[in-house]
Amino acid sequence: MADLKKFLIRRILTFIPTIVGVTIIVFLIAYVIPADPAKAWAGGEKASPEAVERIKERYHLNEPWYDQYWFLIKGLATNTLIDPRTSNPVFDDIKDRFPVTFQLAIIAFTFTILIGIPLGLISALKRNTWIDTLVRIFALIGVSTPVFWLGYLLLFVFFVKFRITNLAGVPPAPPVQITHIPIIDSLLTGNFTLFKQHLARFWLPGFVLGFMGTGVLARFVRNSFLEALSGDYIQFLKAKGVPKLRMYRHALKNALVPIVTVLGLQFGGLLAGTPITETVFALPGMGRYAILSIQNLDFPAVVAITFIYAIIYVTANLVVDILYAVIDPRVRY
Amino acid sequence: MPEPILQVRNLTVHFYTYAGIVKAIERVSFDVYRGETFALVGETGCGKSVTSRALTQLIESPGRIVEGEVLYHKEDGTVVDLLKLNEEQIREIRGNEIAYIFQDPHASLDPLYTVGYQIGEAMEVHGKVESIKEGIKKAVDILRSVLIPDPENRVKNYPHELSGGMKQRVVIGIGIANNPKILIADEPTTALDVTVQAQILDLINQLKEKYKATVILITHNLGVVAETADRVAVMYAGKIVEIGSVEQIFKNPLHPYTKGLLKAVPNPMTKIERLEAIPGTVPNLITPPSGCRFHPRCPFATEVCKRKVPELKEMEDGHFVACHLY
Repeated sequence: MADLKKFLIRRILTFIPTIVGVTIIVFLIAYVIPADPAKAWAGGEKASPEAVERIKERYHLNEPWYDQYWFLIKGLATNTLIDPRTSNPVFDDIKDRFPVTFQLAIIAFTFTILIGIPLGLISALKRNTWIDTLVRIFALIGVSTPVFWLGYLLLFVFFVKFRITNLAGVPPAPPVQITHIPIIDSLLTGNFTLFKQHLARFWLPGFVLGFMGTGVLARFVRNSFLEALSGDYIQFLKAKGVPKLRMYRHALKNALVPIVTVLGLQFGGLLAGTPITETVFALPGMGRYAILSIQNLDFPAVVAITFIYAIIYVTANLVVDILYAVIDPRVRY
Repeated sequence: MPEPILQVRNLTVHFYTYAGIVKAIERVSFDVYRGETFALVGETGCGKSVTSRALTQLIESPGRIVEGEVLYHKEDGTVVDLLKLNEEQIREIRGNEIAYIFQDPHASLDPLYTVGYQIGEAMEVHGKVESIKEGIKKAVDILRSVLIPDPENRVKNYPHELSGGMKQRVVIGIGIANNPKILIADEPTTALDVTVQAQILDLINQLKEKYKATVILITHNLGVVAETADRVAVMYAGKIVEIGSVEQIFKNPLHPYTKGLLKAVPNPMTKIERLEAIPGTVPNLITPPSGCRFHPRCPFATEVCKRKVPELKEMEDGHFVACHLY
């Protein structure tokens, strides 16, 4: 595993161009949009020309694009760039909202795994029966159900009709912070009342966000498990006299490589779903903040959020790559 | 009279596919005697592998064993019909009393586990060792007995780190791990380099002597048969057409198919001038030819061959043939 260290360093080095590339693309899109951010930041149509001019001066908006980009990145890296809309340093705003989004993504991911994998396995074991058909239909519904529609539907059921969830605010973080993600911290410090409160607030948005991936995952698990089961080595295991359950264990481990790949991609998909979910459920997270920033032409915040999302995405893929090596001895770095 | 260890009677396996019912093997009967090497010969798709796997119910859906009996004479004298055992009972026999070696060693090992683990597992599932850890220790001796050099380190290897010949030795090691009474080798050398084929066959022969096992060898290679087998059954399109000792089959083949087969390859026992192919192709087993399944390709076919399925007839001591010519 000494090679793993080399691999990690190499991979982390490739992060840099990826993330720089992402920020450049987002910046350029913002740059070419025919809108006048300075006017918007100064207060819209009623803004005085002097105020607009001052903002242009301050944010280097009269300079060429590379100068603007450099100013933006330098400001973000040192966290000295003041957000024109909130008057806070950009990353201070994001720091408050990041835990909400991350928590939401974790809960959604848990739902995806807890529902998707068992459904896929059942579907494979009961191949071509009505259960299998049911799971297929479920997968199709999962993929084709828009998050906002399912969100409002479940809100109607669980909030309006039965009042089993609430929509106001977010429970506080526990006093001792370890990971700065409240739900994990409260679990780690044994603060179960707070943990339950967080769960009560987040389970429904988490479920809605995770639902889309569930069906895809179930189908994927089904197919890769069936493919593994049809392998010659499974026949040989049977000829060895290995009991059924252990045969399934062998097959599942072999099916895990494609499943882990899909899980990595789905984690990225979850991030893309957070803006809508957070808006529907009124969660003060990064996704909702991104939408507000876009509406207000608040480009520094948009670039910063994209930067964070890009980091999460590449990290998730790095974890997938490491898991490959853990599962499959043929993958070496 | 040699003592039978396995008596197969009227074994029939059908595959229920979308295209129709594939009659893979039809009323196959033969005996295997204790301690011998019994070869099952035939071209690809004639049902050799299906026959060998059906012996311990290793037929996967959409295949099904339609009828037949496989009487297994245990060491203690009792006789069981392997096809009547339930899943758990047959599992205890598989890999324990009747073990398999499959054709492709690259595919028969699980790529994610070390070879030591996989040998240890074979012993553990039959209660021969307490844990897989203990099994891995014993695997060292097994690897040594299948002539793998440096077995102490090889147990920790994954299948992809070994060559094809080495992998097949590991597969054989798994086969003999529980000291089985019958070893079924399903084309054990087909996927290997010619250079290691002889080594693997030698190894199987040596182990057979050492453990006093019975070997059922499935192959399409007549050279291998002549070299290793005691008795031979020739299969064509899901039926056994001729059974006899190696001498009888090679020196005095009776069935036109066997004759054709022997003319198509260099015969190790008699000199032939020219190799001849059998005209025609293997029939479709969804709608097999009526009567004798070989009649469309047979140079001696008569009217009766199209109508009547020939039964196996004993022509000389232990030499059976299913043909209307006799």
